[in-house]
Amino acid sequence: MGEAIVITSGKGGVGKTTTSANLGTALALQGKKVCLVDTDIGLRNLDVILGLENRIIYDLVDVISGRCKIHQALVKDKRFEDGLFLLPAAQTTDKNAVTPEEMKELITELKRDYDYILIDCPAGIEQGYKNAVAGADRAIVVTTPEISAVRDADRIIGLLEQEDIEPPKLIVNRIKSRLVNSGEALDVNEITMHLSIDLLGIVLDDENVISSSNRGEPVVMDPSNPAAIGYRNIARRILGESVPLMSLDEGRPGFFGKLKSLFVK
Amino acid sequence: MTKQHYVTIKGTKDGLVLRLDDKCAYSDMIAELRNKVSENSLDGLAEVKVHIGTRYCNEEELREIMNVVHESPHLRVSKIQSEVITIEECNRKILENQSETYIGIVRSGQVVKADGDLVVIGDVNPNGRVVAAGSIYILGRLKGIAHAGATGNEEAVIAASWLEATHLMIADKMETMTDELTILSEQPEMECAYIHPNGFIAIDRLQELRILRPNLSTFKGGS
Repeated sequence: MGEAIVITSGKGGVGKTTTSANLGTALALQGKKVCLVDTDIGLRNLDVILGLENRIIYDLVDVISGRCKIHQALVKDKRFEDGLFLLPAAQTTDKNAVTPEEMKELITELKRDYDYILIDCPAGIEQGYKNAVAGADRAIVVTTPEISAVRDADRIIGLLEQEDIEPPKLIVNRIKSRLVNSGEALDVNEITMHLSIDLLGIVLDDENVISSSNRGEPVVMDPSNPAAIGYRNIARRILGESVPLMSLDEGRPGFFGKLKSLFVK
Repeated sequence: MTKQHYVTIKGTKDGLVLRLDDKCAYSDMIAELRNKVSENSLDGLAEVKVHIGTRYCNEEELREIMNVVHESPHLRVSKIQSEVITIEECNRKILENQSETYIGIVRSGQVVKADGDLVVIGDVNPNGRVVAAGSIYILGRLKGIAHAGATGNEEAVIAASWLEATHLMIADKMETMTDELTILSEQPEMECAYIHPNGFIAIDRLQELRILRPNLSTFKGGS
């Protein structure tokens, strides 16, 4: 019996879909059987980031309305041997086409065959959010070091705490170490203190996240990328390993690096 | 058979007291009150307290008693005193005097309400709202909105370990905590907000509360 994790944020554009794609891929890299469910009906993106867009035949609404079987709608990621699947959202219908009860039933069915089901939640706190949360056992809240994103995260955590699920965990995404070190952006400690929930991990801002998403290849495939390391660490923490939090200084020259640069001159 | 008096007027050191019998029928009492009031030979205008004893009168009956007394041009009712209240009223009074405790974080969009005092153990985050008919005490950071004395109690206070609210409301007074406000101190630790005699909400150190609102204390101790 697998575990269903909803990835949500309240605010749009903080990186829910990117996080879902990368965590799903990272878990698959760890040898787990993962199913990604895109619940952003009407504005689906997860398929694009995974590079699976042109392989979609059926979607979530088709499954729920009984037009096809679950396995017919699932799109397999060929990079993994039976490790990563995507249940795409419908693009033509609206969010009200699905009810929370139907979602719950669907997720329960998926949990039988997969180790992890990652549910990519739409922005907002309306029907789409309610559908996404309905079947989840755990929740991950994604935020960025911006006050508006933190406010919305606070709202969504309040709503999640009303649900019958484990206390949500936090990912602080898109951290620009330069802004944090100069004190211009909120730092991670401040954010976790404010929201008072457990921190699951941090992801540094990196240009390659965008370029690799555009290629349809999640950044987490590149083991040397700083954002990828963040995602990989989070995946390992989801699996129960204890991984120390990465420092913001990574990627900048360390003490010996600075010393070396003195002599090289 | 001598006629029993259902209505008696007495002069006490606190002024005139109109005592209404609580055993007789209501209609008999009202009839006699009407007689008594009209035969009264008072000069000028006197304030009178009405004691209705252990008779329960609803709003309408109380109003009728008042109106009957006011038929006399010389009498004004200052207060109607009763020895009984309904269960409903009693329960409400108990609730109003109770202190309710909320342990947790009041997050954006959430509202925590109390009929009496409210104790919050945890933070009140921005856009979170705490409302109480009595005072609000927060063991944590108040960064959202607090409304004490929501039903009109101007004596209510808002106290917090860290008072950094965006909006403070006490009874019908409201203060938005903008930067240009002089009452905002640089160190918002251990502070309380109350209605200053000048009618505006003021903020002071928590320790001043015993001088500002000594009546909030429910018992004397420390001996």
